[in-house]
Amino acid sequence: MKIFRMASATCALAVLLLAGAGTVARADAAPSASAAELKDAASKAPTTSTLAAGDPGGTLTGTISDVPVSDSKAGLTLSDVGNQVGQNKIGINFTWTLICGFLVMFMQAGFAMVEAGLCRVKNANHTYMMNFFVYGCGLFAYWILGFAIQMGGAAGNGNLGGLQPLAGEHTLSLFGKTWGVFGQTGMFLSGHTYDVGVMVIFLFQMVFMDTALTIVTGACAERWKFLTFAVSSVLMGAITYPLFANWAWGGGWLAQLGTNMGLGKGYADFAGSGVVHAVGGLTALACALIVGPRIGKFNRDGSANAIIGHDISAVLIGCFILAFGWFGFNPGSTLGASAAGCLRIGSVAVNTMLAGCTGTFGALLYMWVMKGKPDASMSANGLLAGLVAITAPSGFVNPISSGIIGFIAGILVCLSVAFVENRLKVDDPVGAISVHGACGLWGVISVGLFADGTSNYGGAWNGVTGNVTGLFYGDASQLVAQLVGVSTLVGFVFGFSYALNWVLDIFLGQRTSAESEIGGLDLPEMGQLGYPEFVFTPEPSHLTVAAQAAVA
Amino acid sequence: MAATKSQGRSFSLFMVGATATAVGIATFSSGTGKLALIVGLVILAASFGMFLKIKPEEGEVADKGQPAAMRVAGVLAAFLGWVIVLFGLNLSSNVSGRMITTLIGIAVSLVGAIVLLPAAANKNAIWKA
Repeated sequence: MKIFRMASATCALAVLLLAGAGTVARADAAPSASAAELKDAASKAPTTSTLAAGDPGGTLTGTISDVPVSDSKAGLTLSDVGNQVGQNKIGINFTWTLICGFLVMFMQAGFAMVEAGLCRVKNANHTYMMNFFVYGCGLFAYWILGFAIQMGGAAGNGNLGGLQPLAGEHTLSLFGKTWGVFGQTGMFLSGHTYDVGVMVIFLFQMVFMDTALTIVTGACAERWKFLTFAVSSVLMGAITYPLFANWAWGGGWLAQLGTNMGLGKGYADFAGSGVVHAVGGLTALACALIVGPRIGKFNRDGSANAIIGHDISAVLIGCFILAFGWFGFNPGSTLGASAAGCLRIGSVAVNTMLAGCTGTFGALLYMWVMKGKPDASMSANGLLAGLVAITAPSGFVNPISSGIIGFIAGILVCLSVAFVENRLKVDDPVGAISVHGACGLWGVISVGLFADGTSNYGGAWNGVTGNVTGLFYGDASQLVAQLVGVSTLVGFVFGFSYALNWVLDIFLGQRTSAESEIGGLDLPEMGQLGYPEFVFTPEPSHLTVAAQAAVA
Repeated sequence: MAATKSQGRSFSLFMVGATATAVGIATFSSGTGKLALIVGLVILAASFGMFLKIKPEEGEVADKGQPAAMRVAGVLAAFLGWVIVLFGLNLSSNVSGRMITTLIGIAVSLVGAIVLLPAAANKNAIWKA
């Protein structure tokens, strides 16, 4: 009997799929044979008394009787079943995207632990608080303005129901082509953007934006004035990040490089090596240049002193939280699990794991071979470097390429940390500029090299038919599109961030007083020590000079 | 000195100004929207005035200032490289030509970002004192 019921329901659904949309449209007017079969199948569905006996095997739960009927007199129609199929697809994609967004949100905890762990104990509360409050600053700024700039013209995503209320991209005509510049709808999520699909994309994009913001707090830790940090974060969440994100993901001009200029499939950044990490890393560089190094970081001859973080266990646990959250970051960027190409989520997740693994190997082996010790903090940065680098290509490359991209990132982060510290004389307590900036740019470039042309997200990317294919697989123009993205990051995003934070330096001042910095920022900035019962070990003399000497 | 009540007040004012400005932009087509935009911008300006007023309360910082000319040159170089890339895409229609102009543009931007601006930052660096 059960087999008969299952077979009836299966036959009815098969007929429905073969009948197509035209049949669905006609179904209400005149019941077809397939509609009759549906009614027959519905009549044979398990009754309430059958279900009341329990269903330990799960074979009776979830049948044709669970499909909502729009008109009880007409009974179940093909239209009802079709609508349910559509709702199921969107429901799966909503659930997938939201859960992945929740995972990305949890990455804030990982960032807080990594950054605070790499700072001294006297600044623990201040560093944790920056990571805590950046969430609020970013979210609020994104809600009132940032989301509209980024996604205000991003209508057309079929995975999330079309997002049709977001149809307000401001364009500019240049060189005979129309280019998207910024979005215009969605401020405060009001009006037509009070929409179920818009809410999902808002949540998902918001946590990405906040990831970019929290990168900056690491590079400026232990001397950044809390007030300036807060204002800077609001402006970054409202303007800087959304602008580049619109160009890459919101239907802006970088995404149009394929349709307008014939450059591959346009700028391709699957989950944000450029949009999230390079934007964060380059803004971190801009801010770190303005804020200046911590007292005692460099000696008079320019040589650098190592300022050791207070809690390596927090750093390593934080890294695992981040690696866990990255499974939301990259696979979630399909924005669905039930649509064309979305089954690639398994491949995206494995690519993410592999690049993190080889990134760790790259950094750990580099440090072990070159410096003699498998340094824990650099190994942690190697894991993050691999994850950052694979973020853009994760949806376009195969596992072997992922391993290569991650390994190169692991070595690159070690070289970049040394370059930033010893050549640029920029003080970056957590290595954020190298992990997110340098490896973010590497991730963007690697799409143009390693994309193998097998990904197929609906047959096109950025409106260009075909699959994203890199130089090693025959399309050099994709690499040019990626390099245009790199140029925009280094030229526009960095320049704009520097100018913006320079203005803030003039009005607010970026740096805390020397007295506060030497004593630790926990008490003067936050009013409470991070670890009030700890007995601090005296620091080396070069880190404890008097405030007068520090500013002399 | 460090965090104070005045800082808290000025930041609150900044957030109110930012919100009112955003309301004004969102509803600009209406008369109320235009009014909200003006009010928001005025509050924002007031908050920045307050920031500037309380800035000296921070006390002496370990920062001897950076030469403005070098900073401007660095920022301009970064932007110039980007502009070169944008116009370079229209100078040539083949991939090789566009690749070359793009790489030139990136190199110019990098001069600004990792040569001029770090040089400006280190010109009067505290560790040199």
